[in-house]
Amino acid sequence: GFGSSVEAAMSDEEHHFEGADSGASLTYPQQAGTIRKNGYIVIKNRPCKVVEVSTSKTGKHGHAKCHFVGIDIFSGKKLEDIVPSSHNCDVPHVNRTDYQLIDISEDGFVSLLTENGNTKDDLRLPTDDNLLSQIKDGFAEGKDLVVTIMSSMGEEQICALKDIGPKS
Amino acid sequence: MQRSPNDLSQLQATMRAIELACSSIQMMVNPAEAEATILSFCQSPQPYQACQYIIENSQMPNARFQAATAIRDAAIRELEFSAAEKETFLAEVKQATLGIHGADVQFIGINFLESLVSEFSLSTSTTMVLPTEFHDQCQKSMELEYLKAFYCWARDAALSMTNKILDSDSAVPETKASTAALRLMLQILNWDFRYSKNGVEGAKGRKNVFSARVGNDNNLSRRSECTVVQPGPAWHEVLISSGHISWLLSFYRALRKKFSCEGFWLDCPLAVSARKLIVQFCSLKGDIFHSDNGQMQENHLLQLLSGIIEWVNPPEAVSKAIESGKSESEMLDGCRALLSIATVTTPVVFDQLLKSISSFGTLTLLSALMCEVLKVLIVSNAEEETWSWVARDLLLDTWTALLVPIESGGKTGLLPAEGRNAAANVFSLIVESELKAASASACSDDVDTDYFQASVSAMDERLSSYALIGRAAIDITIPLLTNLFNERVARLHQGRGITDPTVTLEELYSMLLIIGHVLADEGDGETPLVPKAIQTQHVASGESEKHPVVVLSSSILNFAKQSLDPEMRASIFSPRLMEAIAWFLARWSSTYLMPPEETGENSGSGYDNNHMVQSLCSSKALLIFGEHNQGKSVLDLVVHIATTTLVFYPGEKDLQALTCYHLLHALVRRRNVCVHLVALDSWHHLANAFANERLLFTLYSAHQRSLAQTLVVSASGMRNPDASNQYVRDLMGHMTNYLVELSSKNDLKIVAQQPDVILSVSCLLERLRGAARATEPRTQKAIYEMGSTVMNSILIFLEVYKHEFAVVYLLLKFVVDWVDGQIIYLEAQETAGVVNFCMRLLQLYSSHNIGKISLSLSSSLLSEAKTEKYKDLRALLQLLANLCSKDLVDFSSDSTETPGTNISQVVYFGLCIVIPLISLDLLKYPKLCRDFFSLLSHLLEVYPEMVAQLNDEAFSHVLGTLDFGLHHQDTEVVDMCLRALKALASYHYKETSVGKVGLGARAAGSKDQSGQMSEGIFSQFLRTLLHLVLFEDYSIDLVSAAADALLPLILCEQALYQRLGNELIERQVNPAFKSRLANALQSLTSSNQLSFTLDRMNYQRFRKNLNHFLVEVRGFLRMI
Repeated sequence: GFGSSVEAAMSDEEHHFEGADSGASLTYPQQAGTIRKNGYIVIKNRPCKVVEVSTSKTGKHGHAKCHFVGIDIFSGKKLEDIVPSSHNCDVPHVNRTDYQLIDISEDGFVSLLTENGNTKDDLRLPTDDNLLSQIKDGFAEGKDLVVTIMSSMGEEQICALKDIGPKS
Repeated sequence: MQRSPNDLSQLQATMRAIELACSSIQMMVNPAEAEATILSFCQSPQPYQACQYIIENSQMPNARFQAATAIRDAAIRELEFSAAEKETFLAEVKQATLGIHGADVQFIGINFLESLVSEFSLSTSTTMVLPTEFHDQCQKSMELEYLKAFYCWARDAALSMTNKILDSDSAVPETKASTAALRLMLQILNWDFRYSKNGVEGAKGRKNVFSARVGNDNNLSRRSECTVVQPGPAWHEVLISSGHISWLLSFYRALRKKFSCEGFWLDCPLAVSARKLIVQFCSLKGDIFHSDNGQMQENHLLQLLSGIIEWVNPPEAVSKAIESGKSESEMLDGCRALLSIATVTTPVVFDQLLKSISSFGTLTLLSALMCEVLKVLIVSNAEEETWSWVARDLLLDTWTALLVPIESGGKTGLLPAEGRNAAANVFSLIVESELKAASASACSDDVDTDYFQASVSAMDERLSSYALIGRAAIDITIPLLTNLFNERVARLHQGRGITDPTVTLEELYSMLLIIGHVLADEGDGETPLVPKAIQTQHVASGESEKHPVVVLSSSILNFAKQSLDPEMRASIFSPRLMEAIAWFLARWSSTYLMPPEETGENSGSGYDNNHMVQSLCSSKALLIFGEHNQGKSVLDLVVHIATTTLVFYPGEKDLQALTCYHLLHALVRRRNVCVHLVALDSWHHLANAFANERLLFTLYSAHQRSLAQTLVVSASGMRNPDASNQYVRDLMGHMTNYLVELSSKNDLKIVAQQPDVILSVSCLLERLRGAARATEPRTQKAIYEMGSTVMNSILIFLEVYKHEFAVVYLLLKFVVDWVDGQIIYLEAQETAGVVNFCMRLLQLYSSHNIGKISLSLSSSLLSEAKTEKYKDLRALLQLLANLCSKDLVDFSSDSTETPGTNISQVVYFGLCIVIPLISLDLLKYPKLCRDFFSLLSHLLEVYPEMVAQLNDEAFSHVLGTLDFGLHHQDTEVVDMCLRALKALASYHYKETSVGKVGLGARAAGSKDQSGQMSEGIFSQFLRTLLHLVLFEDYSIDLVSAAADALLPLILCEQALYQRLGNELIERQVNPAFKSRLANALQSLTSSNQLSFTLDRMNYQRFRKNLNHFLVEVRGFLRMI
């Protein structure tokens, strides 16, 4: 039949999607066409959240390319990139961990309680006044706060606060 | 009129003051003071006498002008006159209009009438804070008593000036007044005639008292600005039999001869107004013509056409003149006139009109005109909007008006033979011009090429008009398309590897769109039939293979088949060309591939068999693509092409979207096609690749969802339910296993965050969701198993991915769709399991999100986070609503016997979890708002007793949102709130009337901490609702729902209702209104034997009463 080439192409790769246990790396390659709004992407070596994806063609009868608008997840800066849609992009490994907030020190560091009972004391408070006051105010009101630390490509930052009730 | 000397001296004083003011303005002496004098005169109450005196006596034109202006302003300001005043006043206006006081005042007089007519036509009236009722009466009396008289004054004014204008070599003062008169006549013909139609359109005459402005939904216009004018028989004399039109035509004809003179030209206001009026006359319709088989109307149109024809004929000369600088406006007005005539006639009558006065028919003229316009378009660069664009669109609309079959009017889209040739000529030029445009644009490096669908739908209207013209002569047009298509295919082959194919590719792209529109209609989810024009037209050859549609279809199929060859694909089949092919195949397949009634098998599947069999008999030749003919091999070819676009066009999202959402969906829409699909090797390979291979994971994840849905739907083609279920298990089993295995890994927390794992999980969830959406009774079992296998994994993922919005949302959406498909089929035990799972899901989600604040430097990331939350909540509301449906529809076998899950309790519990997450801010999202209120109204309707059990916080939240919803813009939201209120109030009333507590303290009101008495909820809502129905704007559709809510509220709070009613009456100042209101309130609660019960009958009576009540009182209560 006329479809033999299709069948051949499809059975070329008889993967059974495994590969969930490879070691953690900073970024992973992913085809540009599969990256969705709300996903992550590396643009100019910065981890970004994708806030806009559009596709266009190179010339009327050319191939598709993706236009990404991303926002640096740490600095909040807007970055853009254009990639042919069949090419790979780097997708950052973004990790988020919850800690209980124990203390805010005078010199601008937070003291956090990890899941296994240790403390983590190496994280600086954000310098932005607004963010800083949201954390400090909540803590000052005596709420029991859980902070979420987002880390990616060697950087980390507090990205969310959660009030889990008054301090006991 | 007799005047006392006292009055007289005062009038003289006023006149002198005004004359003085006018001259000081002229001489620039103290202009500010003079202006103030004139302004205060204009604004003084009832200045009519003074004005009349000035107009009659002043020697100063400026003073007369000011007086006339003052009358105009005052009359509009003070619409109320006594009858005698009105007569005097109008007599004055008539004299002015007819030119007794000179040309200046004549102009003002006509202008005044124009403002008056526009003021009374509600759509253009200004806000005056008068009762709506008053506006209606004015409008009616204007239409019945004055409109025709005004028209005659304007006509007589114009007539009296004719000679002066035509005899003069340059513009005279009369030109201005004459233009105004023509404009006034046009404006009167534009009036929305309601009352003079012998009650034929009674519904239109009934006024909507519920919203301030009458909508335009009554417009009869089909697609362009062309409105039909139907003033009724009373206007026959004035417009038709008086020779008025022949005067107008000869007036314009004479005017045309003067265009070379100074002061007159093609676009001078007088010429423009005259042409507009002539065009307006072409839209005259209805019982203004005697019922003589349309003879009178035909004569009328012929008369107009013989005047208009010089504007557009001969087309070549006309267009040449425009191209060399002549204004196009007359030619465009000629096109507008043709459009109007086409709108009120049938193709045959249309064509015949011209034949009686010339050697060719109107269709031939239309065709020649269109060809000329297209030629200009082809030559000129089609970049900017030129006259030829406008003309083309007008003429296309004319063709559409003629060719679109209108069922009710008995109009057929069939053209007379001569007309068919005319249509074929036009069509061939259309194709030529489109090809020209395509090749011109092919190499423009337009980076922002629109998404295919967007560009097709933007062109769709035009393409549909083309299709109508093409279908009018298929024996000529389709072979033409075949030749042009084949020519280009041959050109591609000859030039392969030698020349750049881009231009030819773009031409083929354009042709596929045109051919797709000519051959088939858009189905919109239904199975479209072979277009009537194609079915019914006699085509000479009897053999299938030679039927022009078959020949053309085969050409395209053969060409598309070449895309399967790798070399051909690389050199010819660009992604854009494949998009057109996928789109064409989807559209074509829905109509021609295995048309449904061939097998008796699906006689029960809801198609209107009789109708279809009939229509199919007339087009036997087209059955060549049926199941027992070439159908199977064509289906196989289509599947191969679809697979090719998914496999060999990596990253071509738009192309793949067309394949997934259009082409493949079109194939599985009909079960008889599915039967053949599942038997095909090509389909089997596609399913297998999807289930087991990595390759299709690189498709966009939403496309994977669609593909899963398509494949599961095709399982309906298996021979029995067991085989269908097994098909689904084989397809999805591997995927669920992967998710279960992953969720049970020890190092899940670490692994799960890896982007590649997130991608796999996301794709699999999308696929599961696609499968869930395809649930049908036949495959329900397998899909239930699929979901229940992963229930536990879903909860684990929800925990692990709690910070990963994109995954959380997919998890929720899968559960929503799965529960939606399954819930009505589940047995008691299964239901308990699913409900329990949903509750755990809700609790888990809530525990992750209550009290959570996102921190980010970026405001756009924060607003994204808010949108994400909105989407989640909407999914959760949908989930609760889906669970609710179990109480309404239940197909399980054991629903009565075994003690089932108490759905109401579960859903209330769920609502309590969700409500704290929903803020009024979030309710600004319209979809969330609808979902929330539909769930709320459903819950309150079905389980009102549960409200008493809500805690205080949740209770006040629910009521706050109800109050918010009552004032919402969205009619549906208001309706749902009214239903909820009805449910609450009627529950309380029924309970308390048998001695129970009902809503107890919540209904009674309470003292707050400061000792302030706060009203009970029903008192609050009674006030709110009364105010709403009496004073606010709302849709007429809401009256019944408002009545249903108001009745139980009144019954719950009778004392308050009495008090509110009395307050309303007291507030009326006008004694007539006061007594009308008192009577209306009385009959609202007493007429139609209204009683104190809440049964169906009583609700119906109250609906009637409220309707009468509102029609009676809203007219004077509301001010606009």
